[in-house]
Amino acid sequence: MASSSSHNAAHFERSLSASAVDHTIYRQSPDPKWKDQNGNEQEPMEEETPVSGVHKVNGLLENVKEVNCSLRNGHAENGENLSEKIAALKVESNGLSTVSEEEKKEKVKDEVLGKPPLPRNKQNSTSGKQSWLLRLFESKMFDMSIAISYLFNSKEPGVQTYLGNRLFSFPEEEVDFYLPQLLNMYIHMHDVAEAIHPYIVYRCRHSVEFSLQTAWILSAFSADVLKPNWKNSQGIKLKNMILNEELRPKVDKKAGNLPSPTLPHALHPLTVTTPVKKTHCRSKSDATGIYSKMPHSQTTGNLQKSNTGDLSTGRAFDSGCICVQSSEGIVNDLTGKETVCHCGAPRLKPELEFVNALMNIGSRLQQLPTKELRTSRLIAELAMLNLNLPARVWLPFGTNSHHHIVRIPHTQAIVLNSKEKAPYLLYVEVLEVENVYSSHVPSKRLENTLRFTKSEEDLTTCYVRSNGSPHPEFSLYGGSEFDDAECWSQEDDEILQFAVKTRSVDTLSQFSVDSTTSADSKEPVYIAAGDIRKRLSEHFTAPKSKFERDPEDPSAAALKEPWEEKVKRIRDASPYGQLPNWKLLSVIIKCGDDLRQELLVYQVLKVLKNIWDQEHVPLWIEPYHILATSNNSGMIQPVDNTVSIHQIKKHSKKSLKEYFIQEFGEVNSEGFLTAQKNFVQSCAGYCLVCYLMQVKDRHNGNILLDSDGHIIHIDFGFILSTSPGKNLGFENSPFKLTHEFAEVMGGLESDMFEYFKILILQGLVASRKHMDKIIPIVEIMQTGSGLPCFGNGMNTIRQLKERFHLNLTEEQLQLYVDQLVESSLNSLTTSLYDKFQYFTNGIL
Amino acid sequence: MSQEATTDLKRTHGHAALLRKGSSNKMALKEKIVQIYEAFFQGEDPSSGNPNFWDEFFLLKPNIPYIESEFDKVSGEGLMMLKENLNALFYRAVESLKEDNTIRVVNAIYTMAALVRGVCRKNFGDFGFDVINILIGFDAAETVMQELVENLNQILNGEYPTALKQQVLRFIMVLATAADNISLNTLLEYLMINSVFESLIQILGDVNLRQMLGGDAVQVLTLLVQYRKYESANPYIVKLSILDDELALTGYAQVVLGALSDFNREYHCHSTEAQAGWFSAFASMVGNMFVPDEKHISAVRANDLVLLALYEAIHLNRNFITALTHTHTPSTPTTPPSSPTVPVSNPLNDPAPELHKIDKALLEQSSHPTNLLVTFLEYSSIMMQDTKDETKHSNAKLCLVILTCIAEDQYANSLMHDVNINFRVTLHRMPMRHRKMKVEKDTPSRPLVCALLDLMVEFTMSHMMKSFPLELYNRCLGIIQRVLCYQKKCRVRLQYPWKELWTALINLLKYLLSNESNLLKKHNNIFHLSSKVVNIFNLFITYGDTFLPNPNSYDELYYEIIRMHQVFDNLYSMALRYTTSDGESKESAARLTNHLVNVKAIINHFSPKVDSWAAANQLSSLTEEQVLDVVRANYDSLTLKLQDSLDQYERYSEKPRENAFFTNLVRAVVMDVRKSVSNLSQYHQHVLQSVSEM
Repeated sequence: MASSSSHNAAHFERSLSASAVDHTIYRQSPDPKWKDQNGNEQEPMEEETPVSGVHKVNGLLENVKEVNCSLRNGHAENGENLSEKIAALKVESNGLSTVSEEEKKEKVKDEVLGKPPLPRNKQNSTSGKQSWLLRLFESKMFDMSIAISYLFNSKEPGVQTYLGNRLFSFPEEEVDFYLPQLLNMYIHMHDVAEAIHPYIVYRCRHSVEFSLQTAWILSAFSADVLKPNWKNSQGIKLKNMILNEELRPKVDKKAGNLPSPTLPHALHPLTVTTPVKKTHCRSKSDATGIYSKMPHSQTTGNLQKSNTGDLSTGRAFDSGCICVQSSEGIVNDLTGKETVCHCGAPRLKPELEFVNALMNIGSRLQQLPTKELRTSRLIAELAMLNLNLPARVWLPFGTNSHHHIVRIPHTQAIVLNSKEKAPYLLYVEVLEVENVYSSHVPSKRLENTLRFTKSEEDLTTCYVRSNGSPHPEFSLYGGSEFDDAECWSQEDDEILQFAVKTRSVDTLSQFSVDSTTSADSKEPVYIAAGDIRKRLSEHFTAPKSKFERDPEDPSAAALKEPWEEKVKRIRDASPYGQLPNWKLLSVIIKCGDDLRQELLVYQVLKVLKNIWDQEHVPLWIEPYHILATSNNSGMIQPVDNTVSIHQIKKHSKKSLKEYFIQEFGEVNSEGFLTAQKNFVQSCAGYCLVCYLMQVKDRHNGNILLDSDGHIIHIDFGFILSTSPGKNLGFENSPFKLTHEFAEVMGGLESDMFEYFKILILQGLVASRKHMDKIIPIVEIMQTGSGLPCFGNGMNTIRQLKERFHLNLTEEQLQLYVDQLVESSLNSLTTSLYDKFQYFTNGIL
Repeated sequence: MSQEATTDLKRTHGHAALLRKGSSNKMALKEKIVQIYEAFFQGEDPSSGNPNFWDEFFLLKPNIPYIESEFDKVSGEGLMMLKENLNALFYRAVESLKEDNTIRVVNAIYTMAALVRGVCRKNFGDFGFDVINILIGFDAAETVMQELVENLNQILNGEYPTALKQQVLRFIMVLATAADNISLNTLLEYLMINSVFESLIQILGDVNLRQMLGGDAVQVLTLLVQYRKYESANPYIVKLSILDDELALTGYAQVVLGALSDFNREYHCHSTEAQAGWFSAFASMVGNMFVPDEKHISAVRANDLVLLALYEAIHLNRNFITALTHTHTPSTPTTPPSSPTVPVSNPLNDPAPELHKIDKALLEQSSHPTNLLVTFLEYSSIMMQDTKDETKHSNAKLCLVILTCIAEDQYANSLMHDVNINFRVTLHRMPMRHRKMKVEKDTPSRPLVCALLDLMVEFTMSHMMKSFPLELYNRCLGIIQRVLCYQKKCRVRLQYPWKELWTALINLLKYLLSNESNLLKKHNNIFHLSSKVVNIFNLFITYGDTFLPNPNSYDELYYEIIRMHQVFDNLYSMALRYTTSDGESKESAARLTNHLVNVKAIINHFSPKVDSWAAANQLSSLTEEQVLDVVRANYDSLTLKLQDSLDQYERYSEKPRENAFFTNLVRAVVMDVRKSVSNLSQYHQHVLQSVSEM
């Protein structure tokens, strides 16, 4: 028992330390048990169950450990373990230095790593601390936040490996949230990379989405690795592996339901892909046959060259996968089954190309001098992009990626206010689907659907009739029976109705229209000129909820339009609008901007929000999704129904409080009070965020107001130890709080203002309690990063910690908060900064 | 030449002198191929007894002029005698299209082209049935032509060199232009049965093919659409009208856009050149006076086909509207501009010497995205400058017809009025005595309809001349009316300086009044035209509340009417004169008086009030602001009569009104195309080269 258990332990030890290392060692191992184990490992474990499996084995092992007293075989194991690890490391480093070897190794490794390697128990040598650690790791308290923190801090390979394996047991979303931290460690800390490599490879194999996210984050954060060496080149290598599509789902022997008998379950999937492709290519003819039966005329139906990436071909986002179109795909579609791609077409390419295309537009816009040029160019570029849609692409924001993009309403896209960079906001029409990878991509519909269906109905029947003989009796222009005008007029009415419907109908001028119809009665109708003039002026004095369109600031009018109205308008105009799973999404594309800090702030905000929810303090913040696709490009999720305070002041020409009254009602109305409450809660939330994260560059263009009265801060380009203007400390107040804000709250003496201060205190207390969840997020990102917000080195983190004021009592804290508010309100620099922004950038 | 042919032969076939017949006789100086042709035209069959004859025959470079001249020598009956030989030759040529050896294919195409042209030179006058008989033979015609079209499709769709595909398209053009009247060209009947439509669409949908072949493909398609357009169901019409392939439609639009913008660019270079100095301006003016600008007119003629293509697409295919406003991203400077008009079809505007100018123009363009409508509006502004010449007149008319179709289309209107779709449109204005020629460089980006209205205003202002283009004016006013109707129905409040339009329209009325007798001699219906103008005013007066941009513009409208009241008064009295006299204009004059009711009411209502206000304030003349104040103060006591069907218009229909126009236009186009493909073989060497590179 003892020997066998020790043997097992030794085995686990090896497999673990080797998990990210070369398995050729094990091949040479004389131990027969190993091979057994290796063979067994493949069969009994289901692909779906690794997490629970790991967990169980893990627990079991721990028990065994504790009973058997780990110290007993500790020394011997340790010695062997160590030497082997060194050897392994050497191999690893050799392997990493040459790609071919790495590849070969990868394939071998995959055999084993397709399933997560068995977890190793805790380190044997030092017991006391370890068991505490173990208890922590075993406890319910243990979550991703603790996991990344220990991954970061522990230098013990055993702990790291254990944590690497524990990742399998966390829900995927939880891990995904900390993906930037994990990958930053992967890039900069070789030992952590080794520990978490199996997990990441495993996830990449299973999820296209995860692969993409990983690739993007890796390329964003490994940009700072200037001189790749064996210690920090693994991030780039992993990225390349993903982008080269080396991490595909493994084709399982047992997966007999996949009709690919030609695909040998081989060690070299790359070499077999070519013949596989060929066999499938031969069946193209029936694929195209089906294609031609589709309602649409296709020009290049029989030219299935890979055109991925070329926007002018109309199939730039086509992976060339023929599974869905194949007869099998059609059958599956009819029977409601899903079609899994097995033709070896690239999985990531379409989406990568799509994101790439969006980024390219952004960089082209940058070269244009005026907003007007940018706007028209943007519309032109998007129209081009539209030719390639619908396609199997999606907006890669983690939460809602189950859709196919079918159309970009290109005329709705807007260039946002920025001098040098040209970020733009774009709306995308999507159809929600169950599975992005296997569901059918809808076929193309033309812009003017109404007429399209009409004319096709009319004319195909004509054509069928005329097809047979060269001299049919039927004539297309057959005089009376085929009257041009009559034929189309009905249809135009439909379009007109539709056009009228989509416009906000001003009932004021209804009279004139009605009178037209009454004019048919041949009785002379008289109208007063005064009425016409009156209606016209009434139309203009009527209160408007919209901003007028300003060519210099097109985003103001577009953003002011309530989201629901916009959705309805675009839906009505879209050929896909009638489909039940239609949805409108929006995204901001930023090119030439580093979004990594934004990403960091998003994570912190998200954690803060969770903390405040958990502690039931009603502070309100709105973390918006960030996707950094490289170190100078990315996407931002726009917050619906918001306009910047600058735009409000510019277009409404009112003070903030007057605007509140205009939008929400009189000061004591319910609408106003609700909005005021929202304002106070959000203001408190963001004041705290600004204080903790030292968010700077707080001019009114960076503060939004939503339709409920919440303020939302955006643009976190200057945080922690960096601020605009060469860190001169232009804005030295703790956070931005102007008298105008206080006025909306009801003035400095009001109850709401008191409430505001209490909220800040409560929020600070709650955050302090959970400080440990916030610090690691920031701290880990400092590693190896060239982010400007860490310009102060280790001081940055120390100062961040200090801002939580762990040493103060609640009373002291309250005094401190009062002081913060006081100094913010009376800060000269805030108004100075606003003035500076006004003079340099025209921001009110 | 013959050296070349023989070396060609030798290169491919070694030394074997297989064409024994006549090889040793006295005509040693002639090309081998010519000897064979001679044999053919003497009724001999050079292939008999030589199984390899055809293989070798099509390796020889055909001599097209020779074949054609031979046809000229033969009489009609003589041709009938040669039927067997010609049939065989044609049949073999069709068969050779299937060959792998592309040299044979090219030669076969040339041979067929020469045969078709040769036979069609003989004017049989019996709807071309004899042409078919002599060329192919009645009994075999159906199968041979089917095979021909299949083979042609095969080449167009398959992996063949682009140059070869181009020759195929040119050959189809030769077929399509065989007869002066395209509808009498019975050869095309076989192209109706066996369609090349799909191949053409595929070319248009493919970016790379389109670059080279797009122009030809559109030309072929446009020609085929014209075949018996008004009588039978032409499958090309049907297919074009239901085409919904966005890529192909966009490609179609790009081809047209390319051709039009080439013209615009050239015009631009030309006009900036002319502007260079006082002397050159003077010289060119003198030059223009005495030498008819041959080049220019031929370029305009060449554009007829392009415009016709645009017209057919807009008129037939309603999906094309999307492509019309589909923005064209200017190509990046590194890639050369796509010039779909292939040099052959337009040999006169060789772009090479003007390369540097084009570069400049390109640079200017490259920052501004454009679309077909933008380019077309600019083109129209150029074409409308001068409508005296008949060619230009018909071209301008076609422009206005196309614009009418666009203005009638609700979807096009919605795009043109979309405030998010803004463009800068360069509109060229004619130099006139009272104003300098000036291209407004910095027109702001505006919705497209503004440019359309500008163009109409410009047309109205610049054509009040002795040769009054009444028909064009009717179309112009029709377009304005259509746009206003759309705005009224859809409550679009366009930010447009309407005052310019009002001024232009009042000026037009003034011109009509002062040239009354002169105009009535030529066109009896200036009353109809005046009614159209007045009704546009009526739209503003009675429906202004639905589409005017602001209340002030309504006041301004009244101000303009009051200010120019004399014009309306005179118009009314003139109309009244004709209603009393028993003339053919009586009815339309009476209608005009009716239409003037509201304008008169306004004048009668406000004029006294303005006068009395002036008297009360002891002012001899009032400022605009003062008049506007009076107007604003006195709306309430004015009653207007709602006119019937102001927002109704007769929809454009090609048949039957425009039949003659289009028939003539197509006839001219056919002649042009025929000329352009007449020297098919001049590219022989080039084609063979690119073929052999394969």
